[in-house]
Amino acid sequence: MDATPTAELTSTPGQHVVEPLQDGGGGHSTSRRPDPLIGIHLCGSTALVWRTADVRAAREAGVVGSLVGALPRQPRQNGRLGRPLQLGLEELRLLLEKQASGDDIESSAPNSEGEVQQAETECYEEEQRSSFEAQSILALEERKSALLRAMGGAKQGGGTSQPDGGVSGRLEVLDQSFVFPRSAVAVQLRTARAGLSHCSDERTLLSAAQPGSSQRAPRSESRFQVFRDLRQRGYYITSAGKFGGDFLVYPGDPLRFHAHFIAVCVALDEQLPLVDVLAVARLGSNVKKTVLLCSPGGPTAPVHYTSLQWSGMV
Amino acid sequence: MADPSKTDDSERIFSELLSPSELFAARSRSRKLPVRGQKDFYPSGCAQQKQRLQNSLDEHWELVSEERVERLGNLVRGIWNPSDQIVELQSPAGKFWQTMGFSADGKQCLQPEEALYLMECGNLQVFHRDLPLSIQEGYETFLSSSQLSLQQYQVFGHLKRLGYVVSRFHASLVPSLYERQLNLPPSRDRGANQLKRKRSPSPEATATVASSPRPSEKQEDSSNPSSAQDKATNHSQPSAAQQPPADDDVTGRCWWSDGLVPPEQQQDGGPSPAGPNSRWDFLSIQFPDLGARDTPGPLAPPDPALLPGAMAVGVCSVSSWLRRLNTWREKQPGGKQRRRREEEEERARRRTGPDREVQGCRSWAEYRRIMERRRKGSRRSDSRPAHLWEKDVTPLHDPRQGTSTAELLEKISVVKPSRWADKSCSVEAVGTWQISFDVHQPAVNTEFRKSSPGMPYSRMCVCSFDGPVPALGELQHVSQQSGDVPVTMAVVDHGDISFYTFKHFLLPCDLPQ
Repeated sequence: MDATPTAELTSTPGQHVVEPLQDGGGGHSTSRRPDPLIGIHLCGSTALVWRTADVRAAREAGVVGSLVGALPRQPRQNGRLGRPLQLGLEELRLLLEKQASGDDIESSAPNSEGEVQQAETECYEEEQRSSFEAQSILALEERKSALLRAMGGAKQGGGTSQPDGGVSGRLEVLDQSFVFPRSAVAVQLRTARAGLSHCSDERTLLSAAQPGSSQRAPRSESRFQVFRDLRQRGYYITSAGKFGGDFLVYPGDPLRFHAHFIAVCVALDEQLPLVDVLAVARLGSNVKKTVLLCSPGGPTAPVHYTSLQWSGMV
Repeated sequence: MADPSKTDDSERIFSELLSPSELFAARSRSRKLPVRGQKDFYPSGCAQQKQRLQNSLDEHWELVSEERVERLGNLVRGIWNPSDQIVELQSPAGKFWQTMGFSADGKQCLQPEEALYLMECGNLQVFHRDLPLSIQEGYETFLSSSQLSLQQYQVFGHLKRLGYVVSRFHASLVPSLYERQLNLPPSRDRGANQLKRKRSPSPEATATVASSPRPSEKQEDSSNPSSAQDKATNHSQPSAAQQPPADDDVTGRCWWSDGLVPPEQQQDGGPSPAGPNSRWDFLSIQFPDLGARDTPGPLAPPDPALLPGAMAVGVCSVSSWLRRLNTWREKQPGGKQRRRREEEEERARRRTGPDREVQGCRSWAEYRRIMERRRKGSRRSDSRPAHLWEKDVTPLHDPRQGTSTAELLEKISVVKPSRWADKSCSVEAVGTWQISFDVHQPAVNTEFRKSSPGMPYSRMCVCSFDGPVPALGELQHVSQQSGDVPVTMAVVDHGDISFYTFKHFLLPCDLPQ
């Protein structure tokens, strides 16, 4: 990719934001891979990642996110969820920042709906037809092999050897009379949208500047600085609303490791009532995690960390 | 920025399309979820840990990348209707119809969140412009309207996956206390039909209130043109009583009465009603009370305007009818025994005299106490300490007066406990917090019918940790909207949902009962 476009965040539903990814942020490999694109789509004001390849690429960049959809294998349980992957604000911003600056504006003009619609419908119907034919052939073959297996088994077990003509006769009967019902064809219910520019209602807008960086609330700014700093140190971060903090910090991939810290973002000059400090320390000790008070110094200054540990006077 | 020179295969992988052989082989996929092993505490960098991590990741990707493959016969076909924001079913609904969906214009329809949930479960395929919607397109199409946000859908999906029956909340459908007391039988067409009616502007209720009892009354009068005076009064009374129930009907079906009124008038052949203004002012029409104790005397003839046609009625003497009226006291339930008991009590009361306090005592010990107290009180009226009782500010309680602990506590309590549902302490109601869903218990255990769902188990209010905690006024407003059903706050945090509810609590009061 020569010119890598930057991305813009707007709140148009379904806005398609695409940006390239540089090296994996985990620092595992030094070899330069071709930049994979991560497709991020906005649903309302939430950023979602739909394709598995994009989810993997985000994970390799160190962005964990959270899966919020139903798992196709078992859709009626809440233990393990499936795609889409929901990205938090800081995660989205981090992914957008990992790119070379460029000011290409790329937009796909909306095609005339009639033509594209027609073509797509025909394409879809053709796909269904060919799939049906292929599957009926496969079903027939499977039946035949099952029949052969049954006949072969009977031959060995029975002792009386049937003439081969009988087997081929049955196979012929199968060939003629086998009907693969239309309702038995397997159909795929797609998770992600087909292709990048499939939906002609949207416009893909990529512009150079990120809007509103000056208007961002100081709190979200400090949160992002803490997030970025922790990420650069190699930690994996997820959200910690249930634990009373801002982030849960893992020393390695959350799949295999327990979280070590609950990070709470506090401004350097903010005065905290002691009761709040006690409350958050108590929360942390209840779940056996260390509370980390994180205070970013400034846009370029390092982040100060203070850990709280509950200890007694002995 | 798709590379235009992708081959067919890589494009297939890119767009996650399965080939027919993969589709066919998917029939025998395993349906079990892998069990997650124990987590490690610290990354030690050893090869074993790396291997386990890699295995977990591979398992994870395998699960995440799986696509939904279903038999075409198991899929229900639906069509998205963007103007009405509903999904219309083209093939008959499956088992989910027991708890989801509604009928409109003879077609089976689903709300967008129900349709999206069914799409994710693999039971429904929604078509828009002849092409099937993918899950992503479903999210972007159904959840982009102002009616439903992604967070609300996440709560909806979470609860449905747990098995609850979740439906949208409509404030107008919450039955009031009075309605529940009346215990009306559920009308046949509740649900979406009623919703649709409420959405469309309804005609003036006042206009039809007056017109609906009129046809019934005119029918009664015209059916007895030659009735005697008393029969007319007797018929007027039930038709007046018909007015309140007609009221209830009218508010629910006010747009029907417009159609009902003209045909009945044509039957009568009487003068047509003069539009919304009623000719009958029941406040000024006198209905004589013949059962009153003091005999009213002969009845005057009624206003000729109230009578149909050219009926002339003279003065009616009611003495003969009064003799026939049943003036005996009504038999109370319990019969003779109860009456005998009451008569005994009457006699006892007459014996003890008019002293209410003495009447109220139940035993000789109490009577003696009362007499003692009275004697003492009359003697010791001046024994109260003057410095306490003669000034402007007197003690709160006289220790010689007998009183219970509860009353004493009541006297000294400064801050009275209040129930938060009290109207007296309600703060300004802000409308930012809205109830989103009604949640009913899973349909397996209870008798759930879409037409009469009954009282919900709880109502859901969706919010997130980023937002503020609800203020007291908002909580009161929401709980008042919900009636008797408890309200649960569902807090959504990046797909993780926590449920909080506020329970009313009174400080316990340790009193001997």
